[in-house]
Amino acid sequence: MAYLLHHLLRDSAARAPERPAVADGGHALTYAELDALSNQVARALLAQGVAPGERVGIFARKSAVSVVALFGVLKAGACYVPLDSKSPAARLAAIMTDSGITVVLAGPATAGQAAAMAGAVPALRAVVVADPNRDGQAAAGPEPGTATAGEPAVVPWEAVLAEPAGALPADLTIETDLAYILYTSGSTGTPKGVMISHRASLTFVDWAARCTGLGEGDRVCSPAPLHFDLSVFDIFASCLAAACMVVAPENMTVFPSRLAGWIGREQVSVWYSVPSVLTMLAEYGNLRASGLPRLRAVIFAGEVFPAKHLSRLMDELPGPRYLNWYGPTETNVCTWYEVPPGAELTAPVPIGRACANTDAFAVTADGDRVAKPGQEGELYVRGPGLMSGYWGDAAKTASMLVTNPFQAAYAEAAYRTGDLVTLDEAGDFIFLGRRDGMVKTRGYRVELGEVEAALYAHPAVREAAVLPVPDELLGNRLRAVITAEGSLTREEVLDHCRRRLPGYMVPDVVEFRQALPRTSTGKIDRAGLQGTDIQEREEAGGH
Amino acid sequence: MEAVINDYISKELVQDPALLPLGNATSLLETGVLDSLSLLRLVVFIQERFGIVVDDVDLVPENFDTVDAICAYLRSRDGETAGRA
Repeated sequence: MAYLLHHLLRDSAARAPERPAVADGGHALTYAELDALSNQVARALLAQGVAPGERVGIFARKSAVSVVALFGVLKAGACYVPLDSKSPAARLAAIMTDSGITVVLAGPATAGQAAAMAGAVPALRAVVVADPNRDGQAAAGPEPGTATAGEPAVVPWEAVLAEPAGALPADLTIETDLAYILYTSGSTGTPKGVMISHRASLTFVDWAARCTGLGEGDRVCSPAPLHFDLSVFDIFASCLAAACMVVAPENMTVFPSRLAGWIGREQVSVWYSVPSVLTMLAEYGNLRASGLPRLRAVIFAGEVFPAKHLSRLMDELPGPRYLNWYGPTETNVCTWYEVPPGAELTAPVPIGRACANTDAFAVTADGDRVAKPGQEGELYVRGPGLMSGYWGDAAKTASMLVTNPFQAAYAEAAYRTGDLVTLDEAGDFIFLGRRDGMVKTRGYRVELGEVEAALYAHPAVREAAVLPVPDELLGNRLRAVITAEGSLTREEVLDHCRRRLPGYMVPDVVEFRQALPRTSTGKIDRAGLQGTDIQEREEAGGH
Repeated sequence: MEAVINDYISKELVQDPALLPLGNATSLLETGVLDSLSLLRLVVFIQERFGIVVDDVDLVPENFDTVDAICAYLRSRDGETAGRA
């Protein structure tokens, strides 16, 4: 039985060695090839002195490169950390330093950028190049060589291919060891690393493959990037079922009708994305023309799918099953709901009920369990799918992984999601909103405090508050209200933010005030700011 | 027309300050300015500003990859947009 994520690859490679594992543009890898190449990557990492439990960065977009790389990391007994090469260098450096990364795997296109991180991350000692689309002959990427002062060693793909391709002699990890760390927005201004063990990930992957009925004939695609937990599904559930993971080319999701044509040509049978991509497909994808006969399941997660766009999508494409998956990165997907065909949708669909081996319950303000429709409470999740904690932050971990209040017999962890829910008549959970300063924008979680911390880092910013502005497509737009010393322009503020924050966290609207309203206790009055006249905001935003 | 489109994209959609000032021939796809959501915002802006409806089949890179391409597309629909820019 598989109890480590890479056992899924071992088993599928033994059962279906010639089946396609990854389709990436013109390149395809079979399960036998993926297994062999990732064995070689694992050995190359061990040769670099990577120890069990060590964190290894993956500096490549989701592709054949990164799939080979991350299985190599797992087989080496290490834990992978996706690094978004599009993030500002300062944020990448903070993540690499926080997680203690000293070795990075990169693709041929990103190896140079990865090696350059050594300027900000002195501990970086090696960049291993993965290039499974190429045989070992022609050289590409930065000059290979050994480390000189201040520069990491670059291990070329030729050197990786020189390693033996057979299975490694023994497992170097157990199921409670970490498989990966995913960094999400942190309220204090630094991203926090969510630690996911092999067991937690497999709890989700086993359920997800069963829920979708994945089989060898399936072609699974999710355009979500590697650092987004949606990509756990297309990588590992496909691997469990010996299905084929189909990589969406960069920018393919931009033009809806082109995307629809591509999904049809690639014969994608299972699709998983945030709702906004599906909204674009529904509204501009010309779906009736393409029909997408092979598409049999459409899964969405990460934010609320506006009912009118979901209705339109289901009208345009009546064939597939439609599944709403819910769960913060800390719990993996923990509840799900299948939208009944032909349903008349007037409100966002429920987040549904708990997945296999998972328990979800809501706790009212009085500490009681939400038991009937109309009662509201915060959703708690327990079971083997929970994260192990936040990397290097025991205090934050203790505040989020609490003792299950309804288990008197022994101490057991439950995760407080911070999401407010209620029950409908059928017993499905309905998402109501957040109880704290976290919002969703473009499917990403953003802690408003992290954006505020970035604003405060500007010397001319005296006070700053960031507020969500609900937006049907984006989930929320971010509105920054600032008081400044001296002259400070909107462009200067945005320029400052863009150097510190990923694009989705940069405020969409910047507004200047003489002073921020205060509550009687002296705190910034967010409720008062929230009510600001739209006209004033539009003018201040430079529209 | 170029100035109107360039100004909107520069102010609303460009994330990377290194791209400014934005060239009218700069690829919006390759530079990552356009993603599925920024394209939608651009389309909504164009529809409102120029009083046209952008058809599904017109939503292709050939029409939206650069400021120049967008303006060429708008001029190809000149009968509808005349006098609005």
